[in-house]
Formats: sequence, C-alpha cells, structure tokens
Amino acid sequence: MTQPFLSIRKLRKAFGAFTAVHDVTLDIPRGEFLTFLGPSGSGKSTTLYAIAGFQDPSSGNVLLEGKSLLAVPSHKRNIGMVFQRYTLFPHLSVAENVAFPLRVRRRPEAEVKRKVADMLGLVRLESFAERLPGALSGGQQQRVALARALAYDPPILLMDEPLSALDKKLREEIQAEIRRIHRETGVTILYVTHDQEEALHLSDRIALFRDGRIEQTGTGEDLYLRPATDFVAGFIGNSNFLAAEHLETKDGASTIRLADGSLISGINANGAFSSGQKTRLMIRPEAFRLERGPTSAELAVEIVDVAFYGERRRIVARTAAGQEIDIRPTSAAMASQEATPRHRRVFFDPGAAFLFPA
Amino acid sequence: MSVETQQSVATLRMPGGLGGLLPALILIGLFFVVPVLALLLRSVTDPAPGFQNYAALLGDGTYARVFFNTFLVAAVVTSVTVLVAFPVAWMLAIMPPALASIVFGVIVLSMWTNLLTRTYAWMVLLQRTGVINRALMATGLIDQPLPLINNLTGVTIGMVYIMLPFMILPLVGTLRAIDPMTLRAAALCGASPFQAFRRILLPLSLPGVAAGGLMVFVMSLGYFVTPALLGGTSNMMLAEMIAQMIQSLLNWGLGSAAAFILLVVTMALYALQLRLVGVRRATGGV
Ligand SMILES: Nc1ncnc2c1ncn2[C@@H]1O[C@H](COP(=O)(O)OP(=O)(O)OP(=O)(O)O)[C@@H](O)[C@H]1O
Ligand SMILES: [Mg+2]
Repeated sequence: MTQPFLSIRKLRKAFGAFTAVHDVTLDIPRGEFLTFLGPSGSGKSTTLYAIAGFQDPSSGNVLLEGKSLLAVPSHKRNIGMVFQRYTLFPHLSVAENVAFPLRVRRRPEAEVKRKVADMLGLVRLESFAERLPGALSGGQQQRVALARALAYDPPILLMDEPLSALDKKLREEIQAEIRRIHRETGVTILYVTHDQEEALHLSDRIALFRDGRIEQTGTGEDLYLRPATDFVAGFIGNSNFLAAEHLETKDGASTIRLADGSLISGINANGAFSSGQKTRLMIRPEAFRLERGPTSAELAVEIVDVAFYGERRRIVARTAAGQEIDIRPTSAAMASQEATPRHRRVFFDPGAAFLFPA
Repeated sequence: MSVETQQSVATLRMPGGLGGLLPALILIGLFFVVPVLALLLRSVTDPAPGFQNYAALLGDGTYARVFFNTFLVAAVVTSVTVLVAFPVAWMLAIMPPALASIVFGVIVLSMWTNLLTRTYAWMVLLQRTGVINRALMATGLIDQPLPLINNLTGVTIGMVYIMLPFMILPLVGTLRAIDPMTLRAAALCGASPFQAFRRILLPLSLPGVAAGGLMVFVMSLGYFVTPALLGGTSNMMLAEMIAQMIQSLLNWGLGSAAAFILLVVTMALYALQLRLVGVRRATGGV
C-alpha cells in the first residue's frame, strides 16, 4: 500500500465535557485540493488547528508522509496558513510580511528579495510592496496573507474561511486566483468553508462535516449525485424530500409507495429498509422533467407558482398529499410548454432519486 | 428631527463647547499656571533679580551630582519597571477576563493604599534585620545581611513597586489590542516563540511601553517620599534637594529654580514623546 501524503487518524478533540471533533479519519494525497465543508460549529476549524499545531488533539494522530506531527511545535511544522481574520503583521510592509517566514529562517538576503518578488507576482500585488497592511483592502490583505503563507514553499497550505469577510465579487476573483495558484504551485490545500458553492467549484474532493464527524468524503459530483445520507443531500445543492413507504428492495433498487398511493420502483436505496418502513424520497429540483422519458416515474402536482431565473425556471408545485416541492426545469424545456396546465404530471428518473430513513 | 434644526443645534453648540471649557481653564490657570509663574518669578528675583540661582545650580558639582543621580534613579526605575511589568501585563492580557479583573482589583487596591504605609512596609522588609535578610540568612544563602536599604537598591525596589501599576495598565491595553491570531500566524510562518516576541509582539507593544515608560520616568524624576525613606544620603534626588533648600535652608530662590528646571525637563521629555509617537500613542491610545 502506498503511504498517504497527509493522514488524519481517528482525530478526537474535547473541550471539557464537550466533544468538538469525534472521530475524523482522512487520507489526503499530495497536491490535492480538499475542502472541509459543513455548518457552523461542525469541527472544521478544530480539525485544521490540530494539523496546524494550535490545539493538541485529545486522541488520534496527524501524519505527514508517515511521520506524526503531534510532537512537532507549530513553528517547526513548515505548514502555510491563511486565516479568516486578517493576520498580517500591522507594523511590517507588504514586502516584509511576505519576507517574514524567510527572515526567521535566516535565508540569504538575495533569496529573500527574489522570493518576495516572485510571491507578490503570484498574487499580482507587485506595486504594493511598500504599503503597510492597514492601507490595503480586505481582498488585497488576504492575497498578501496567501503570498506570505506560500513564501517558504510549504508542502501543505491550510485556509480557514479566507474569503468569508469579502463581498461576492471579490470572493469569486480570489477563488479564481486560488485555483490558478494551486495549479501553478501544486501545493496540497486544505480549505475550510461553509459555502457549498465555493467548495464545489474549488475542490478536488470535499469532506462534509457534521457535529464533529465526517458525513461523506468525495468529489463534488459524488456528493451531489450520490449523497450517502439525507444530511449530505440536504446540504449540497437543493433537494425535495417526499414522505414514502418502503415496500421492497432488490439489488439496491427500491420500490416505494408515495402518500398519494402511486408506486415507484427502481429507486437508489441508501441503507437497508424493512417492508412498510417510513422513509423519505429525495429528488433534486433539477431532476424533474416536464415531458415523459423512457424510464420516467411520474408525480401528479398542482402548479402554484412559476418564476423566471435566467437559464432556469423555478416552479413551486404541490403534491396530491399537499406537500410543496421545488422544480427547476431549464427555460429551454419550458419554452415548448408555453401553456402550463394547473394540474399536470411531472417526471423524474428513479435512478436520480434516493431513499433515506425518515 | 429635520435637517435644518439639526444644523442649528450644531452651530449653537460650537461656541457653547468652548464656553463649557471655561471653568476648567480657570481652574487650571488658578491652580497650575499661576503657581508655576510665581515659582519662575521667584527663581529669578530671590534673593536678587538675575539668573544667579540657575548659574549656581548648573555650575556646582554637588548639584550636578543630584541632577545626575535623579536621572539615574529614574532611568533604572523605569527600566526595571518595564522588565517586571511586561510579563505581568502579558499574563493579564491573555488571562480569562474574570480572573484578570480580580488581579486588576488587587493592583488598583495597592494604588489606593497610603504611600507612606507602603514605603514603611518596605523598610521593614528590606532593613539589615528585615524579613528578607533574615530569611536569606536562615536558608544559608548569605552569611552577611545584604545592603538593601539606604542605597540605590532600596530606592529602586520601593519605587518600582509603586510605579508598576502605571506601567502595567497602559501595557495591558496595548497588548490586548494585539490579535492573538497574529502570533499564531507568526508561529506557523516558522517564528520560534522568541522570534515572535522579538519581531512581532515587542514592536507592536512599543507604544504601550513608551506611554507607560514616559509616565514612570517623569513621575520618578520628581519623587520624594520613597527616595527620602529608602535612599541613602549619598544618592539624594532632586525633590529631596528642593525640599531641603526650601525647608531647611529657606533658600526659596534656589529651590524654585531647581523645581523649574525639573518642570522644563519633564515638559521637554513629553514633547519629545509626542514628536516621536504622536499624541494618541503617547497617552496609551486612550
Ligand atoms: N477553545 C474552545 N473551547 C471550547 N469549545 C470550543 C473551543 N473551540 C471550539 N469550540 C467548540 O467546538 C465546536 C467546533 O468548533 P469549530 O471552530 O471547529 O467549528 P467550525 O466548523 O470551524 O465552525 P465555523 O464554520 O463557525 O467556523 C464549536 O461548537 C465550538 O463552540
Ligand atoms: Mg471555523
């Protein structure tokens, strides 16, 4: 077995009686962009801090290339980090901030100069070298922090919600920079966010945190198309949950009965269900079609509202059982459906629907 | 409220603000400026008009020694106070707030305790047969009592103790304003605890050190009680000398001149500090 680059083993962190991280195990290959995604208080920062050495875990281990990091103090871990809050040294110029990690390592002056120039070029802030951090915008400060964190070529870069204090436009701009820098430097990145969109479009893989545990790890597509739990399904993208009764499951394909009495078969089962068990059927708003396909299941609904959202429409519909659901067909698909009847059927592929315990 | 009324209120308040300052200005004039002017007047008229008092003070080796000694004591006291206050202030800054406010309470309480009482307490502790010497001799660390009183050591110990709060309080303010994340960032950048202290914490706390340091230095320059009780005759300070000139020698002219020199030096130091670090920082950011 090849050794993982960075390995988090059964990490647990308790603060007094409260356990912030229960049991996190994760292998991260070199060069990966992995994101910790999850709601506030789910233990993302705590896990990151254990890697950075700011907090000693209660148990478990963190290994870099097979060697435990736990006994290594922060300043010898050689890890880069960008924080949520601006942590530039306020009394040092931009250039001196970036030079700081090299100066404490007593690198020769020529190398410091060259490296600082390289890094400021990487984050496109060459002309700001002599400014003090206080004279920079939030976005510029975070780019300097990024340059500082990368100046000593750390094998791992940790980022704890680095963009959460920035407005949307700036955030997107720096996201693009981070992607480019990841491509150009090949550094392994562990990124924390609670913004699913950011996670989906930045990362190679996402670890979804919930209450101090990892609920599912996988690519954005894995989490979106094959959610392991209803929590994942609810957290990533949009989802409709319909009450359903489980009838039987054969070869991973389930047959259920909806509240209006209709039977649907060929559904993905997440777990083992007994006959007659109450379950919840998850269907993405985008998975609904207005026209019958070859393998379609159908659902009788009453259209409540149709709104135009650019490339998609958003339909609010009510099932026969009185539950409101969200349907997002493409506007192109709607164009051929100009006369939308109030009572109609909508269709979905049972293979894109998932069954979870109620 | 309409914009118009707001404006008229604002214009009314402008001269009113200066008018409100008037009682305070009169008080300062009455209790500060007038006595200082009287002092100045006396120093150039008593016993006869002219600058002979200043010439005597600045030209005489004995007086020069007192001036030198005053600055030496103030400098030593300030340095030792900074060294002791820094770790205390740092602990206070990172302590849980509830605990910190208890410690603050103790510090402020000590400031309210009578100065003479505290100085006499030090006499009891520091004298040849005092608690400290007896304890050290009992443990066998020394065979002869250490000379802890009636010398520079005694003055320094007694004054540092009294000055500590004036150093700790502004320093805690400055240190609390430093984001602890900045130090974590420094650590991850590879800075050892010492490097983080040297390159980040110390420079960032310098305004507090300067503000507290100036206050302690200036207060030390004019200190009387502690040097008089804990110091020896060979290292008299300026305030003692002034008291002696006026009370024992009844030489008001010479005493006034010495006091005025002290005042000018103090103001010059404060002006220098303002020039160096700016008004806001000189007052500890308050
Ligand atoms: N020093 C501490 N003492 C006590 N509890 C703590 C401490 N640090 C974190 N916690 C708790 O641990 C839990 C996890 O915190 P953590 O900061 O890891 O969450 P997070 O996933 O990063 O959340 P967010 O998205 O809000 O940053 C929270 O409930 C938090 O209150
Ligand atoms: Mg966090």
